[in-house]
Amino acid sequence: MKNKNPNILTMKRKETFAGYFFISPALLFYSIFFIFPVTFSFLISFKRWNMLRPLSSSPWIGFRNYIYLFTRDDLFKASLINSVIYAFVTVFLTLSIALLIAVVLLNIKYAVVWRFIFFAPIVTPQVALGIVWGYLYDPNRGLLNSILSFFGIPTHHWLTDPSLALFSVMITAVWAGIGGPLLIFTASLKGIPDLYYDAAKIDGANAIKRFWYITLPLLRPTLLFTIITGLLGAWQVFDLIYIMTRNAPAESVWVVSLYMYQIAFQSLRMGRASAAAFILFLIVLVITLIVLRIFKKGGIEGYE
Amino acid sequence: MNKNGKRIITIVKYIFLFTAGFLMILPFYWLVAASLMTPQEFISMPPKWIPHSPQWHNYVDVFKRIPMWKYYMNSLIVSTSVTLLVLITSALAGYSFAKLRFAGNRILFRFVLATMMFPAFLFLIPVFYLMKQFGWLHSRLSLITPFIVSGYGIFLLRQFIVTIPNELLDVAKIDGASQSNIFSMIILPLAKPALATLGILTFIGQWNSFMWPLIITSSAPEIMTIPVGLSRLSLAFSTLENQNLILAGLVLQVIPVVVLFLYLQRYYIKGIVLSGFGGI
Repeated sequence: MKNKNPNILTMKRKETFAGYFFISPALLFYSIFFIFPVTFSFLISFKRWNMLRPLSSSPWIGFRNYIYLFTRDDLFKASLINSVIYAFVTVFLTLSIALLIAVVLLNIKYAVVWRFIFFAPIVTPQVALGIVWGYLYDPNRGLLNSILSFFGIPTHHWLTDPSLALFSVMITAVWAGIGGPLLIFTASLKGIPDLYYDAAKIDGANAIKRFWYITLPLLRPTLLFTIITGLLGAWQVFDLIYIMTRNAPAESVWVVSLYMYQIAFQSLRMGRASAAAFILFLIVLVITLIVLRIFKKGGIEGYE
Repeated sequence: MNKNGKRIITIVKYIFLFTAGFLMILPFYWLVAASLMTPQEFISMPPKWIPHSPQWHNYVDVFKRIPMWKYYMNSLIVSTSVTLLVLITSALAGYSFAKLRFAGNRILFRFVLATMMFPAFLFLIPVFYLMKQFGWLHSRLSLITPFIVSGYGIFLLRQFIVTIPNELLDVAKIDGASQSNIFSMIILPLAKPALATLGILTFIGQWNSFMWPLIITSSAPEIMTIPVGLSRLSLAFSTLENQNLILAGLVLQVIPVVVLFLYLQRYYIKGIVLSGFGGI
């Protein structure tokens, strides 16, 4: 179709126009709610500003926000460490348990019902889950201690003991997060041809070997995908921590998003909070790239 | 493997499943049970498992004691508006990226994918500042506008529309259909499954959304949504007197999403499989 028919030319021009016209709402949105905010955040990370005063009268202070965060702000460092622990432990546990359950559920009756049970917390508001688990963890009236003492296990102050609080929230997060990866793993497991397993059986490989040498390698793209989306999500956790850990010391439970929220909207230190946000963003980026490298396969496109 | 070994494995499997299933259901069971208890039962020690006689009036009282109805309407208006707008912007941009040739198509699509990598906390301060400058801090617009375009939504619709055969569009073009005709009469009807997936994911995500509404509505109670309202009350009622009313409120908050999920389960699950952990 290479003839220069004027009709085709106008059609092409119309197509180009329609192309830009149809993405114009998205482009307008991204310039207001993406490009502006990222630039703005970056600029005010070099300022001292409390949002109450006009932006123009707030002083530029160079790298002082960044220097303060790294040298003097113990709460920032604690939040950073808590976030790293939270993200890696939660994602590791969630994915391991989800994979185990996916394998167990593969050839079982009423698997749909089982999967629904594991999936229920995914659609439930995290705020509701946090409040309910808060009551379950209650040291005196909570069901958890009551169940544990039935088995003779000593009771604990789950959400106020500094050495336990973050761990308790992680248990809730794992409990709430199994359903998503479980579905993804089930879909991928069903995609592995029986032929591979049959061949391995003939060669005398036992169930564990079959899992290790057939299932796991074939699940690699799925694992990569769930690890990356999981880390990105866990890194930004806010709802559960905010709801559940109010009575625990800040250093023991604060994560980066809670730090951001408190410093920006309670202490009104917009410059420092923005500097923190940028540092965290760079760390997330580096971790994501490292995970991608470990798996040596591309992100969303690699998954397709 | 011999028959006995297989039977043992099956038994172990079921013990594992029933233990795990019990742990999964317990919090939900307790939520419903406790929402039907009297305040005395609720604070009794050791904790009660079953309400002696279900207090159904808790569900009426919750509307009288807290502005539940207002929270409900706010959540409903915000979630519905965001969902409709996301569907429109995603379908338009998705079609454009999938089927229309124009300079910058590929680069702009890559840009949209890249925006998904940026964590939410990077946007809190600047977008709050924008809303303040717009004078929207007491308007639901501040809860709606920052979410009306979704990178994930554009990605999802683009991937779906790419699979629609070009011949179909060519035939329409030869018949003299304009681009907006093609979009509304061919693309939209065919993209219904993808729109359903995106719609339910967006609605549930918005209905459950907490951090941004907390920042905005803490000083604007007239536009407060259910998650923020209930979380604030659960802290304020430290007297324990009305705590079980909050649980009734939580049940009422969960019911719409459960109904919606059961109704559109197939589409929701497809969205989860594409998006990973359930967040967008």
